[in-house]
Amino acid sequence: MQPSDDEFGFVPEHDRPIPYLQRIRDYYLTLGYGTPYRWAQYADVPFQALTKSLKDSTVALITTAAPYQPDKGDQGPGARYNSSAKFYKVYSGDTSADHDVRISHVGYDRIHTTAEDMNTWFPLPAMRRLQAKGRFGRIARHFHGAPTNRSHRTTLDVDCPEILMRCRADAVDAAILVAN
Amino acid sequence: MGCAKDIVETVGVPRFLFSDFPLGNAAGKPRDVGSQDFTLALALDVLESAIGPRTTVQSPLRWTASADWKLDFSNVAKMSPEEIARRRAEFDAQKEVAKDRRIQDGVSNAAS
Repeated sequence: MQPSDDEFGFVPEHDRPIPYLQRIRDYYLTLGYGTPYRWAQYADVPFQALTKSLKDSTVALITTAAPYQPDKGDQGPGARYNSSAKFYKVYSGDTSADHDVRISHVGYDRIHTTAEDMNTWFPLPAMRRLQAKGRFGRIARHFHGAPTNRSHRTTLDVDCPEILMRCRADAVDAAILVAN
Repeated sequence: MGCAKDIVETVGVPRFLFSDFPLGNAAGKPRDVGSQDFTLALALDVLESAIGPRTTVQSPLRWTASADWKLDFSNVAKMSPEEIARRRAEFDAQKEVAKDRRIQDGVSNAAS
């Protein structure tokens, strides 16, 4: 007889990171869309070690969330996918102010989360708390919004250089990108 | 910081703090400041300590005791034909909306 998972304390087989690439591919093929999305994929990945202590570093926040636009339909919590709330150009915000940024324009998990707490995708308040405790030097003057427009060319040739330029203008040492 | 491990690792990034949470919670659990601060602190640890590109660190936090939520996201095996048809109609409608938005933003040449 096959030993049971319980005997070894194993968890169920599906208790592993969700295989999103396969799940999404199967999803759109089943819906009837013939050409699967081609995800970005690189063999060589850049890496830059910090050149100074984190306590002396300026850290930027980059988000895929969109500024709340009252005239663009339901943007949550619990909103259905809302592509009218998308944005197609890099935007920036003053990190000394509070912001209302939403994720109704991207494919988050609408069954198991409701997007009711912005802090789960936009950790600016958490950055303030940890910076105040001395965990890192400074929050960069601006955070930046990265468009999610599914055009690799626009992402690579327009949006990424624009965000890099804006980070450099704020003398940023490191950036945290929170993807959704 | 992210929740889609296979996607981020396929793209390839210098450092990755992976939270095994439903998409939309890369910075911690809702209404749980302790989880949010812990998650960001871990991301800062990774920023500081990674020894090279593609360093992935998995947060020890769990979304729920049960892992059954992982079976639901975009899982066609769990959908009826009616549900699939409804989703297709909804997606087509959203694509049209997105097309209009790109034109408004002056980027009408971008792919869908």
